[in-house]
Amino acid sequence: MVSGWSAAGALMLAACATGTSPATAPSPPAEASRATSVAPAPKSAPPPVAAVPAKPAAASPGQSPRSASAAIPAKSQSPVPAKAPAQAAAAPLDLKTLEQRLKETSAIGVLTKLSLKNQVDDLIAKFRAYHAGARPPTLPELKPAFQLLLMKVLTLLQDHDPALARDIDASRDAIWNVLSDPRKLAQFS
Amino acid sequence: MKRALLVAATACLGLSVALAADDPKERQDLTAVIALQGQPCGEVVSYTVQGDNDFVATCKDGNRYRVHVKDGRVVVEKR
Repeated sequence: MVSGWSAAGALMLAACATGTSPATAPSPPAEASRATSVAPAPKSAPPPVAAVPAKPAAASPGQSPRSASAAIPAKSQSPVPAKAPAQAAAAPLDLKTLEQRLKETSAIGVLTKLSLKNQVDDLIAKFRAYHAGARPPTLPELKPAFQLLLMKVLTLLQDHDPALARDIDASRDAIWNVLSDPRKLAQFS
Repeated sequence: MKRALLVAATACLGLSVALAADDPKERQDLTAVIALQGQPCGEVVSYTVQGDNDFVATCKDGNRYRVHVKDGRVVVEKR
């Protein structure tokens, strides 16, 4: 069960490393080192960056911290000084750290965490079935389920652990890239 | 003798605490779990503890659910 949780948690938060670690590790080498430990994260990193160019203009009025955290790590994190540096001090985030972060957040109760884990596991099973060639579900059919589950997680986190919620939200595309790529997904099993 | 009394007292205390449990965080947890399972509830107003990870929650809208863990999965059953 723990391994399942770690797989699920890792998946959900794998890309958090891309969201959070840029703030933590200011230099590019840090991302390179992460590439070895958390393979999916760096690969999935490009999508947020690719998506970002459109956002900065729109983001500056309203959602600057979110989109900026993915694109411009050091500068954008400064508006949220308190919690980001604390997590940043832990240096490069590996999966264990991410798993721990999800486990230890007080924003979600134990039963809720377990229930979420169940749903994450179910969704991952659907992705595995898809990658194994089963139809349905198709990828477009899986996307709404993924987004809904992410929304549930964010809803549970946003009031009591906004930093984690923000990191997950910023990593939305990266997580999707991991799930939709059989090779990346296999690395979490 | 003293030790037996102490054990009995602790057991009684533990039992009464378990039955009288009304932790707001637990209620919130149960509310979230029931909502995650897509069941109508609104908000859990009270609950009783049936055992380890086994609760009966009463919702604001009058619905009652048994929330328990079975084979590593959280199960919500309407009562």
